Amino acid sequence: MRIFKNLGQALRGLRLNRGNTFLMTLGVMIGIASLTVIVAIGDGIKIKVLNRIANMGFGPESFSVIAGAGRMFFARSKNTTSMTLEDAEDLLALPTVRLVVPRQRKRMQIINKKEFTSTRVYGVTPDWQLARGWQMTDGDFLSDSDLDRRKRVVVLGATPARKLFKGKDSIGKMVRLQNNYYQVIGLLEEKGLTESGYDPDDRALIPLTTSMSRLTHETYLHSIKVVSLDSSQVPETMEAVRQILRRNHNLSVLAADDFRFITPEGIMQWVTESEQALNRMLILISTVSLLVGGIVIMNILLVSIRERVREIGIRRCFGARRSDITFQFLFESILVSLLGGLMGVGLGLAISFGLKRFDVLPTHITVEPFILSFVFCSLIGLIFGIHPARKAAFLSPEESIRSQ
Amino acid sequence: MNLIEMNSICKSYRNIGFETRVLEDVTLHIEEGDYVGIVGPSGAGKSTLMAIMGCLAQPTSGEYILDGEPIGKLNDRKLSRVRNEKIGFVFQAFHLLPGVTALENVILPLVYARGSQGNVKERARELLAKVGLEHRLHHTPGQLSGGEQQRVTIARSLINNPRIILADEPTGNLDSKNGIETMKTFDNLVKEGKTIVLITHDQEVARHAGRIISILDGQIASDREVSHEEQTRSV
Repeated sequence: MRIFKNLGQALRGLRLNRGNTFLMTLGVMIGIASLTVIVAIGDGIKIKVLNRIANMGFGPESFSVIAGAGRMFFARSKNTTSMTLEDAEDLLALPTVRLVVPRQRKRMQIINKKEFTSTRVYGVTPDWQLARGWQMTDGDFLSDSDLDRRKRVVVLGATPARKLFKGKDSIGKMVRLQNNYYQVIGLLEEKGLTESGYDPDDRALIPLTTSMSRLTHETYLHSIKVVSLDSSQVPETMEAVRQILRRNHNLSVLAADDFRFITPEGIMQWVTESEQALNRMLILISTVSLLVGGIVIMNILLVSIRERVREIGIRRCFGARRSDITFQFLFESILVSLLGGLMGVGLGLAISFGLKRFDVLPTHITVEPFILSFVFCSLIGLIFGIHPARKAAFLSPEESIRSQ
Repeated sequence: MNLIEMNSICKSYRNIGFETRVLEDVTLHIEEGDYVGIVGPSGAGKSTLMAIMGCLAQPTSGEYILDGEPIGKLNDRKLSRVRNEKIGFVFQAFHLLPGVTALENVILPLVYARGSQGNVKERARELLAKVGLEHRLHHTPGQLSGGEQQRVTIARSLINNPRIILADEPTGNLDSKNGIETMKTFDNLVKEGKTIVLITHDQEVARHAGRIISILDGQIASDREVSHEEQTRSV
């Protein structure tokens, strides 16, 4: 087959012009390497975030109701005072609800003698631990009697515990919130930072009753966590919760909700949306870098053709058709692009492994970059090879054989 | 029968609106088995004549019939086939592919030949042996002397068994010893029945031919047979 002979000539051409071949691969190689690394990081982060969500005890059967309208994580509306303990009690009465955890939240200083740090202080009920499935490393969690007696006790997350006690035993010690002393009765197991920089260990838990009467002096709640009996009941439970809250808050038919839901699906959706945004950016960056790679190939091939005018003339003298020359240079361009892609994937994988190995960023290797780079590189070789190849093919044999 | 038939060939080049006439009304006929030398000073139009004869360029006007086929009407595909099958080129500057072995260089025309070519390496090896290069098969042009390179180009011109050999100043880059060797090779090819058109500005070299055509300012100045004693004198 004539076309295979052209392919053979292209391979020979690339081997003989190693310097140009190497230069041509560079642009594509860098483009594909960055593509590989970004895909690996994107996948790695997604997997880690999903693990974290599972790890946080945000099981598929639970969701949270946050006071105030707005979007899931952002845009906190003005301080909403409508959600109360009565709401929480009404929700617990629903047949599909297993647990309800009403919650107050306030960021404030927590002090141990000369050490102090700012942390999120939550007023919660003992069911918090059940709903979260969060283990203790030391001491006990808040009890019903702590709640009933509005005791000034606190369970510390790993971050404030470390900052206040520097690794020393903290159980039984006193810490100060505002002007009151609280006894440390337990330490939460450490979860570690999330990729977005959120620190789940940066918290201190006190009984909700204590929080209401002694700390915030407010009777409204920041949020209620609802655990249904089964994940399949989440939608109907959410609807029932919505009805109860709207009734309790005296919202007219036309008024919007003055609360919002956070669900595992919602978080997943948010992660997916973030990932899609990342992917769009990735596609843009890769497109630009691969276009640059393609232009590099085209330019070097054009220069290379100028250097090889004589060779083209010789081939034409001995019977090469225009199509033979076109295919030879088109193959050279495609092969060089694929070679660059292969090297790029290799380099990208090496960088991805390095990032993971030295704990810089989580990465996850999939087969995607291989397929993507194969497709992209073939296309780039083809698109950016056509112009130089046609140019070479349409050189006059007479003039090219005479060129010096 | 005329193998090459040129009738009123004109060739002009256009350069930034300037028209340079290189060949004017050239008419010549060459029969199969002829050994023709084309002589003339540089710039006379010899190389242009050879480019047209070798189907590397088309005349501006006039008719060129090669082996009974009017060349002017052929498309690139057919022209390429004519170059591939009917013509073998030998150049002053050798024009071997750099970095490619002698063997592969000789095979080049078969890369573009029609159909399956059988054992091309064996044929190339035989031809290289014929020109005395059986020990240089895997050398690249850079590793060969000028004379050796010219012998590789001769082997290359013969590999597809063409009817015509077009040689453009084949001795121009060679010392006298290698020049004489090359001319002897051509003499032998004529004896084997090849048609040879030799372009040179060297009258001595031209005397090997049976017929000398002089070109001057793009026109045929003279066209004469070379007497036998003239030929023997040159050898």
